[in-house]
Amino acid sequence: MKLAWRELIRRPRRFVVAGAALTLIALLLLVLGGILDALIGSSTGLLEAQSAPLIVYSSDSKGSIDRSRVDASQMEAIAAVPGVRVASGLGVAFLAGHVPGRAALADVAVFGYEASNREVPAPPSSGRGYADASLKDDGVSLGQTIELGTARTPVRVIGWVQGTDYNQQGGLWVDPSTWREALNDNIPDAAVAPGTFQAVLVTPEGGTQVAMLANAIDVAVPGVSALTIPEAIDGIPGVAQQQSVFTSIIGVTFAVAGIVVALFFALLTIERIGLLGVLKAIGASSRTLAAGLSLQALLITSGALALGSVLALVLARVIPAAVPLSLSPGRFVFTAVGLIAAALIGSAISFRRIVRIDPASAVGGA
Amino acid sequence: VRFALAEIRRAKFRFALLIGAVALLVFLILFQQALAGSLLGQFTGGLQRQSAMVIVYNADARRSVDASRVLPSQIAAVAKVPGVELSGPIGEATFSARLRGGELKETTVFGYELGGPGAPTTLSSGRLPAAPGEAVASSSDASGGYGIGQTITVVPGDTPLTIVGLADGIQFNVQPTLFTSYATFDRLARATNPSATEVLPNLVGVEPAADVDPIALANTITEQVRGVEALDRAAAVAALPGVSSIQQSFAIILGLAFVVVVLLTGFFFLILTVQKLPSLTLLSAVGATGRFLLGNLLLQVVVVIGAALAIAIPLTALSVSTASDAAFTATVEPRTVIVTATAIVLLGIASALGAMRRIAKIDPADATSPLTGGGLG
Repeated sequence: MKLAWRELIRRPRRFVVAGAALTLIALLLLVLGGILDALIGSSTGLLEAQSAPLIVYSSDSKGSIDRSRVDASQMEAIAAVPGVRVASGLGVAFLAGHVPGRAALADVAVFGYEASNREVPAPPSSGRGYADASLKDDGVSLGQTIELGTARTPVRVIGWVQGTDYNQQGGLWVDPSTWREALNDNIPDAAVAPGTFQAVLVTPEGGTQVAMLANAIDVAVPGVSALTIPEAIDGIPGVAQQQSVFTSIIGVTFAVAGIVVALFFALLTIERIGLLGVLKAIGASSRTLAAGLSLQALLITSGALALGSVLALVLARVIPAAVPLSLSPGRFVFTAVGLIAAALIGSAISFRRIVRIDPASAVGGA
Repeated sequence: VRFALAEIRRAKFRFALLIGAVALLVFLILFQQALAGSLLGQFTGGLQRQSAMVIVYNADARRSVDASRVLPSQIAAVAKVPGVELSGPIGEATFSARLRGGELKETTVFGYELGGPGAPTTLSSGRLPAAPGEAVASSSDASGGYGIGQTITVVPGDTPLTIVGLADGIQFNVQPTLFTSYATFDRLARATNPSATEVLPNLVGVEPAADVDPIALANTITEQVRGVEALDRAAAVAALPGVSSIQQSFAIILGLAFVVVVLLTGFFFLILTVQKLPSLTLLSAVGATGRFLLGNLLLQVVVVIGAALAIAIPLTALSVSTASDAAFTATVEPRTVIVTATAIVLLGIASALGAMRRIAKIDPADATSPLTGGGLG
């Protein structure tokens, strides 16, 4: 093991090739994963922010909050289902925000809500709202009044919230009456009647099974469909396809990393076959030599991961804002584990050659 | 030739690994190009393949069809701009549609004034809608319940639409897409949301008068009509939200994949050349010309890349057909494959420049002195 470590220290140039290729592959994996996370996050942030475990849509909306309408009588019926502790309305309107002093418009997702969730406190009074911190990039500041849409519906920003963007539009959380006014005045074809919401969030009473409560709501209330939050996320159009396609691409990239390591160590092993024969002749076991090889693969991959991560962070700062890229700690950990596993498997391909080295060949000058 | 191929045969494992790695990288490049191309086509087709040459948005919409609502006063003002031959409202929305068999599918519907701007331009069979309740569907959705003669029902409201024609490449927002009359679109919007107080068109479609440049006309409309933004069709397609995100994201990923291919191929042949430098020097000393040695190297590069392409292209075709489903149909364009394959071959040859340089610098006289080999270090 010491020998493997010393070789790395004394002959670093020998490992530059594999290191460079693996660095680029690590960067590629992080970018791919970062784009996937950003795409999924922008579609699912609204649902993931909810503390209620169930969401109810109109049954013919196919889980699309834009097209869903749950009227006041359905809301009452949902609230009356045994096991429901709280049923609160939720609605969204996508509008342009006119920010004072800025010529450019901000893309705003206006959420009308009745109850607090993980990220947002209880609804403010009419005409006020909590803005997602991402809107700071559009020049929004605390105390400012943003005018929404062509009807210029005013909303005063009274606080910040985090991670509640939806469809890559900055979240603005307002009370139901402000949301309804903004929606009806700006998008009259999507207008909603008083008491109507686009979805209902349901918090069950303690001890109630969430899945059973969803079935009970479906049965008791005609025209609605209750989903758990994970089911609702899976049902968002495109999310499953995006995940499946990107996961396949990431899987193939891990395979490429494994092959690169295998190729590199195959070349390296062939190059020093004579030296390995000498080591075996003086008592080194195949296991020791193989362990040294694996250690080198592990260290090179770790170095490549570190460099690739730095490059990914730099890239995230310089790429155009239009490119969705979200680099989370979880993504770094996933990439590191996958890449190290691929590298160890790849390096193991040279084990057979090491085992087959005959110590006697050291005398013959292999 | 025999010399180069014999070496590959004798070092099967090493060359197989390189071919495998390059094949997977080329597969990634081709697969992602197929995805990006298909995604963009199905994302923008509805706007790209309709007849209005100038598209007018509400300025607040920031060039998003879904977000735009054009006011009646703006529609009237656009019609009066000099250079406008014909103009008319275009509506666009996504509805839930019940297909025969009861399946619910999200369906994008464009509504345009029959005979006016906004009609699909790539009709491949059947005819354009001529009466309320008739629609043209995307030909790629014909087998998915949108064939000619089939009736779908938009819910809520249970409004039936009968497919009377099919047009190529008119999908929008990567969904099954229909073109129908504006009156039908208005009826769908009101039936699905009885609370709607008014149905405003998303866009105004404009046909310029003869000899009027669409780009110049778009600029004139933007200047003369308050609160609107007009774009020529190509600019409107390029400006759709998400288009530049898709293009730039895939450009970064593809760029990185190309760099890895070049690096991998280049370094492999460099290492291999350095490892066999003593043998190459000896060959040179016994009469092998530099041209012969370089020719063998280039042949090996071409064989490796050719084999990688031979694996990657069918693999891409297979994966693309597997990845395609009723919701998203990806296709591999032959032109993309040819351009990519040519680029990979040229870049592969370019990547071997380092190895070629080493061969060109071989001095036959070195064969008389012991050589240390070299290799990776």
